[in-house]
Amino acid sequence: MAEGFDIDHLARLARLSLTAEEKALYSSQLSQILGHFQALAQADLPAAVGDARVVGEAALRSDEPGPVLGAEAVTRIAPGARDGQISVPRVVDDES
Amino acid sequence: MADALHTLSAAELGRRLAAGTLTSRVLCEALVARYHTMNEKVGAFTHLDPADVLAQADASDARRRSGQGRGPLEGIPVAIKDNIAVKGQPLTCSSKMLAPLVSPYDSHVAERLRAAGAILYGRLNMDEFAMGSSTENSALRKTFNPWDLARIPGGSSGGSAAALAAGLVPLSLGSDTGGSIRQPASHCGVVGLKPTYGLISRFGLVAFASSLDQIGPMARSVEDCALLLHALASADTRDMTCFGPPDRALTPAGDAKQLRIGIPKGFLGKGVAPEVAAAVTAVGEFYRAQGCAVSEVELPSADLAVPTYYVVATAEASSNLGRYDGVRYGHRSSVAGTPVEMMTASRSEGFGPEVKRRILLGTFVLSAGYADAYYVRALRARAKIRAEYLAALAGVDVLLTPTVPTPAFKIGEKASDPLQLYLEDIFTIPANLAGLPAISVPCGKSGHLPVGFHLVGAPFSEAKLLSAGRLFEAAHGYAHQQAAL
Repeated sequence: MAEGFDIDHLARLARLSLTAEEKALYSSQLSQILGHFQALAQADLPAAVGDARVVGEAALRSDEPGPVLGAEAVTRIAPGARDGQISVPRVVDDES
Repeated sequence: MADALHTLSAAELGRRLAAGTLTSRVLCEALVARYHTMNEKVGAFTHLDPADVLAQADASDARRRSGQGRGPLEGIPVAIKDNIAVKGQPLTCSSKMLAPLVSPYDSHVAERLRAAGAILYGRLNMDEFAMGSSTENSALRKTFNPWDLARIPGGSSGGSAAALAAGLVPLSLGSDTGGSIRQPASHCGVVGLKPTYGLISRFGLVAFASSLDQIGPMARSVEDCALLLHALASADTRDMTCFGPPDRALTPAGDAKQLRIGIPKGFLGKGVAPEVAAAVTAVGEFYRAQGCAVSEVELPSADLAVPTYYVVATAEASSNLGRYDGVRYGHRSSVAGTPVEMMTASRSEGFGPEVKRRILLGTFVLSAGYADAYYVRALRARAKIRAEYLAALAGVDVLLTPTVPTPAFKIGEKASDPLQLYLEDIFTIPANLAGLPAISVPCGKSGHLPVGFHLVGAPFSEAKLLSAGRLFEAAHGYAHQQAAL
C-alpha cells in the first residue's frame, strides 16, 4: 500500500491554507493514522466492493417539479447578496 | 409538582397531558427554568428561544383543548442536535463555518415532530460537523458529562445525551455515522438507537458521510426511545435511500425471552476495561437466566472495522464538505482576492482542526494513485464485514457487545491523539458499515460513571432491539436515571 503524501498538494486539492505548524502537525498525525490503515493492505478481501444499501434499489421520486426555496430565502442566508442575487468576488476582469 | 417534571419520562408526561393534569406550558416553563439554572453547568444546549418554546406550547395546549391533539408526543419537548434543520432555528453544526446560519426549511424529522404535536425545543451541542467522539470538537462551547463534570459526555451527539442525563429535556434527536448516538448514550447513562440505514429520512440532516449517516432517537428509557422512533420513521422521496418502516421494524416483537443472543468472540477481551467487560457479561447472564439462548459467534474481520470506517467516512466527508466555499451560505472570509483565494480563506477560517484533519485524510485516500490502495480496498473490506455480520445474524437475533470499551474519559485526555479517539468507536462502527440497527442501553456503573451495553440486529429488526432492551430495563433500575447536579 502507498504510504507517502504531499501535505501541500493535499491542502491545495482540499482548498485549505495551512500554517507551517499545521502542516507539521497534520503530516505527523496522518502518518500515524495511515499506519493504522495498513491492516487493510494485509487483509484477504473479496474482489467485489459490494453495496452499502440495505435495500438494493433507490427510492426514486417521480420526475415532477416540486417546491423549492425562493430567491428571497436563498439570498437571505448567503454571505453576500445584491439585487436578489448572490454576489461573489470578481471572476473576470473588465475588458480594457 | 413543577419542580419534579424534569424527572418524568416522556410516556408519563404524555399521560398527564392527555389526562388534563398537566399543560405543555407548565411543562415547558419548568424545563426552561431548569435550562436557565443548569445549562451553563452542563453546556448541552447551544441555543434555546424560550419565547418560541412557550408559543409552541400554547399552540399545543390549544389543540388539545379543541380536541385536535396529535398523539402521544403532543406538547412534549424534543431537543435537536445542531446538524438537523428546523425552520427559523440556528443550524450551525457547532462550526464557525455555519455559525451565522438560520435554517430556511424543516428537515423531514422536524416535519414529523411538528405533525406529531411535539415542541421543537432548542439546539444541542455536538462535535463540529459530527466529527468526534467527545464533543470537544465543538467550536461553540464545551459540554460536560452530567455524571462527572470533569469528563466528556461522548460524541458527536454529546449535547443530546447530556441534556437527557441532566434532566433538561425528556427526548432528543441525535445523528449516528460511526456511533455518535450510541457512544454518548452509553457515557451519559441514557438510551440511544441508530436505526437501519433507510428507516428514517436524512432530508435536512447536514451530510457528513452519506453512506453511513442516520438520524435516531435518544431518551432516558427504552419505552421513550420507541415512542420517538415511531414518530420519526416514514418514507420520504427526498432521501433516495429512505424506504420508511416495513411492518416488522416497529411492530412489537414476540417474547423477548425467546431471543437468540450472540456474543462475538474476543469482544470482551483486549482493550475493554474490566468493569465494562464484567457489566456486559452480567447482561448476557441476565438474558440466559430469562430463557434466551446465549451463544458465542465469530466475526473474524472485526479488527478491520476502524480503518475501513475512517477511510470511507473521511472520503465521503471530503466530498460532502466541498460545498462550504463561502459563496451560498456560511462563513465568507473578508480576505480579498480571486474567488479561489476567497474560498480557500473561508474554508481555512471556518473549519476547526478535526474537520481539516478529516478533509485532508479523505482527500488523500481518494487522490490519484492512492484511491485503489485505500478507498477501494476499504469498500471491499466493508463488503466483507457486512457479509460476516449478516451471516452471524442469520444464526442469532441480536449481537451483544459493550457500546464503548471504557467509561467516559477526562476532558482533554485524548485531545492530542486522534487515533486513540477513533478507537472509541470500535464496537459501534460495524453497524454503520453494514447498515444495521443498533441500540445502547444502560447496564450499570463503573464507579460513578455509566456503562452501556450494545445490541445489533438484522436490517429492520428495531422491534427486537427495543423488546430486548425493555426486558433488561424492566428488571433493573437504570431507566429514567439522572445525574445529581
